Amino acid sequence: MVEVSLSAFAFLFSELVQYNQTQVDNIAELERRLEDAGYAVGARVLELFCHREKGNRRETRLLGILSFVHTTVWKVLFGKVADSLEKGTEHEDEYMISEKELLVNRFISIPKDMGTFNCGAFVAGIVRGVLDNAGFPSVVTAHFVPMEGQQRPRTTILIKFADEVSHMMSLLNIY
Amino acid sequence: MAPVIPRSGDAAFANVERVNAELFTLTYGAIVRQLLTDLEEVEEVNKQLDQMGYNIGVRLIDEFLAKSNISRCVDFKETAEVIAKVGFKMFLGVTATVTNWDAEGTSCSLVLSENPLVGFVELPDTCHGLYYCNILCGVIRGALEMVSMKTEVTWVRDMLHGDDAYEMRVKLIKQVPEEYPYKDDE
Amino acid sequence: MQFFGGSAAIGITPSPAAPPGTATSLSGNNANMLYIFNRNGVCLLYREWHRPLRTLDAQQDQKLMFGLLFSLRSFTAKMDPTSVDKGNLGVPLLPGQGCSYHSFQTNTYKLSFMESPSGIKLILVTHPKTGDLRDSLRYMYNLYVEYVVKNPIYVPGSAIKLNKGQLHQFHVQSYGKSVIKERLVNILVQMQLS
Repeated sequence: MVEVSLSAFAFLFSELVQYNQTQVDNIAELERRLEDAGYAVGARVLELFCHREKGNRRETRLLGILSFVHTTVWKVLFGKVADSLEKGTEHEDEYMISEKELLVNRFISIPKDMGTFNCGAFVAGIVRGVLDNAGFPSVVTAHFVPMEGQQRPRTTILIKFADEVSHMMSLLNIY
Repeated sequence: MAPVIPRSGDAAFANVERVNAELFTLTYGAIVRQLLTDLEEVEEVNKQLDQMGYNIGVRLIDEFLAKSNISRCVDFKETAEVIAKVGFKMFLGVTATVTNWDAEGTSCSLVLSENPLVGFVELPDTCHGLYYCNILCGVIRGALEMVSMKTEVTWVRDMLHGDDAYEMRVKLIKQVPEEYPYKDDE
Repeated sequence: MQFFGGSAAIGITPSPAAPPGTATSLSGNNANMLYIFNRNGVCLLYREWHRPLRTLDAQQDQKLMFGLLFSLRSFTAKMDPTSVDKGNLGVPLLPGQGCSYHSFQTNTYKLSFMESPSGIKLILVTHPKTGDLRDSLRYMYNLYVEYVVKNPIYVPGSAIKLNKGQLHQFHVQSYGKSVIKERLVNILVQMQLS
């Protein structure tokens, strides 16, 4: 596998964040722009996989595509499988991928005046890019979740599938 | 007892944490795409990429110096070699060749063996004039400025434009000695 | 790595007694002051452990320190008996050009100095019997890179903020430990100067 140094990526990502900061008035807008950038990455990642896996077996099951994101996509992009994939407890159509230390949050400390800003929005965008292009439109957001006994919160990527997806899945009963 | 100048960045690259180049390549692609959407003019995108590279260069230099244990860079020729062999390797895992020195020894070319910024890229016709990898020029310019070398860095060959290699021209404008920073009457 | 090689064979002897009337929060700590300057003479970081005598305001003090280092380098290069290539005294040098000094000692303190080719200057003022601190200074330069330079929120050339409100944990991969930025200086002092 071809690699570059983590520093090179950290510097590049930092410029992405800083450039986008100059283009927005508020944190929500900044996160949206990072998500857009991530979306493009996600779409390309899916494309590359389909290209490589000659069998071109298209994933049609919800859990199948989720585990593809949690395992394969994570492994390629971040060198490891995501820490966990869970079903939301409150809503049927919500899933969560959690990472104790998301790569893009590792080298960034958020100043107080930026409140809940989470660079994970970029990764949320990647996830949305993959899901959307695989035929599972969704809303994906990144959140810090404080962990007991840990100084740093973990990042949870919350996936909420679009109504049409949940509807279709419940019709087919193939969750 | 000045430390020996490293001739290769292999050891440094082996020792640093690394990520899959695809994440890097695709993220860079997303940045360029955003700039093309925001700025519209290709010339502006080139400028912004160069500026982003410059911002990176002024930071990256200290990491480079700390990890490579280099304690002086005064000679431009030597510096060019170190960038090509150690710098590129340490950060991008590739090396470059220094060639085409001019007679004065103040400008040379860096030819990249591989270019991790450009996986999966084909420039559409609308991007004629875009220097897709212009960020690299900025990085080199920024990093060299921090070690007192004012330079101009430009692309002369670009495979995305149909050339047979990636070649940057680095021209030393002047070396800026350290001036006493305070005014006497302050 | 040699940290406190100066008075070898003494082992883990505590540092010489602090002068009466001084108190230190770090017991056994040998350091008096630390400065980090950038190439433009901006003091990025100043820390002191014991410094009972202070006659100047902070800004004057920093300017004086920077000026001392700057002139000393010019003098040492000018007086270098081994070099044929000599600029005029006072003519600016490139960082790394000419010979360089790494410490000087008085009867009451020792000043250790490191300059990176990018013009970052680290200065540690310690007890006069302190040994060679060049490795320590290099280590601090590495900390500076990991904690400060690589933090995207840090604006290059601005003062390094170490107040508690800005306390953030970072992982320092190169040293295999998880440490807190705020402790940038204390870590070094505890690990290496005690």
